[in-house]
Amino acid sequence: DPRRRGDALRAFHSALRGCPGASGNPAAKEQAQGTVLKVLTSFKSSDIEQAVNSLDRNGVDLLMKYIYKGFEKPTENSSAILLQWHEKALAVGGLGSIVRVLTARKTV
Amino acid sequence: MAYHSFLLEPISCHAWNKDRTQIALCPNNHEVHIYRKDGAKWSKVHELKEHNGQVTGIDWAPESNRLVTCGTDRNAYVWTLKGNVWKPTLVILRINRAARCVKWSPKENKFAVGSGSRLISICYFEQENDWWVCKHIKKPIRSTVLSLDWHPNNVLLAAGSCDFKCRIFSAYIKEVEERPSPTPWGSKMPFGELMFESSSSCGWVHSICFSASGARVAWVSHDSTLCLADANKKMAVASLCTETLPLLAVTFITENSLVAAGHDCYPMLFTYEESQGALTFGGKLDVPKQSSQRGLTARERFQNLDKKASSDTANATLDTLHKNSIRHISVLAGGKANCSQFCTTGMDGGMSIWDVKSLESALKDLKIK
Repeated sequence: DPRRRGDALRAFHSALRGCPGASGNPAAKEQAQGTVLKVLTSFKSSDIEQAVNSLDRNGVDLLMKYIYKGFEKPTENSSAILLQWHEKALAVGGLGSIVRVLTARKTV
Repeated sequence: MAYHSFLLEPISCHAWNKDRTQIALCPNNHEVHIYRKDGAKWSKVHELKEHNGQVTGIDWAPESNRLVTCGTDRNAYVWTLKGNVWKPTLVILRINRAARCVKWSPKENKFAVGSGSRLISICYFEQENDWWVCKHIKKPIRSTVLSLDWHPNNVLLAAGSCDFKCRIFSAYIKEVEERPSPTPWGSKMPFGELMFESSSSCGWVHSICFSASGARVAWVSHDSTLCLADANKKMAVASLCTETLPLLAVTFITENSLVAAGHDCYPMLFTYEESQGALTFGGKLDVPKQSSQRGLTARERFQNLDKKASSDTANATLDTLHKNSIRHISVLAGGKANCSQFCTTGMDGGMSIWDVKSLESALKDLKIK
């Protein structure tokens, strides 16, 4: 329903915004990763595209970083949902967004 | 669009003579081959063999008709045409790593060589000794210099490096020129002075280019970004994260428009909006032939889904003119202010000449400002 979708979207944006960035200590980064992953896996497949489209260029790059971070430590069903996020993020960010995951000095 | 396949090997670098009837290129070895246009054909007219390592840079001075080449053998040679033979003169660069790029200055009385020695050699001719000498620009370069471009005032030099930065230095040589007048990049320009340094992007700076006026400098990095610094806006940097694979070459074609190309094998247009200080993607410049779009079989569809998790029906073959990465772009006609033709060479051993007017008429949404 639209209200639940709205909540998920808000959680998504605040999780991405709240990332500690390069200055964060490992524990803070770990926590941020966990939060983002929880939000990403809570999305319904049909809502992913809208969420990705609500991001700006930097947001898409940041999302890509979290997706690949999530691939590094797969849990029960995480890879499947992350692959769906990957497809939608790739459509918007292009191969450039993946290149920037590889070249980034500051990891998430 | 004229495409000519010179080699099966990559073309390492290329340079054109003044009237664009001859092209000098390195066929991925220690030599430089010069081809001349014979109607619709290209015939090899010279083979320059002197380097002991791969030739990494070639530049052809249009007025004095001299060639300068540099290579992984840590040497540079200036070539002069005597009769029908190109005669080399060794230039001692005093570097202990490979030379990577070379550019004649606009007045052709100096040339700059970027190298793996983390410095730039500025070479000029000393009349009394009948010998090329060089001075080094070292600080604060921390890694290999991959690309160079001169400002039209013959003094300022932009350098792109593997330490992720674009820098503008003064390469003023008092022995060969007058003191330069002030520019938007600064007024005091002693040799080696750092006039501008970009904040770190996250990728090696593959290519760098001054605009025709010299007030702007643009560069492309390995993190798939294109950046532009505008001296008239207090050196503010506009950057664009592209959706493509990293770009390897960039040039201005007007004061506001850039053409860049790289690992995606096709040139693309970018526009700088001065009022907003922003760069935007202007479109792909390769007009693919109309290939028959055949549908995917059910088996191919399933394989796509299994391998790439996507039901995208785009096929994997390249429908671009170049079949491998484009490494160099050169302006053929119109200069960087009003380019009407440019040339690309790449890892597929091919050379393509692009006509700007034809592109504008073929691609309806293309706007070159």
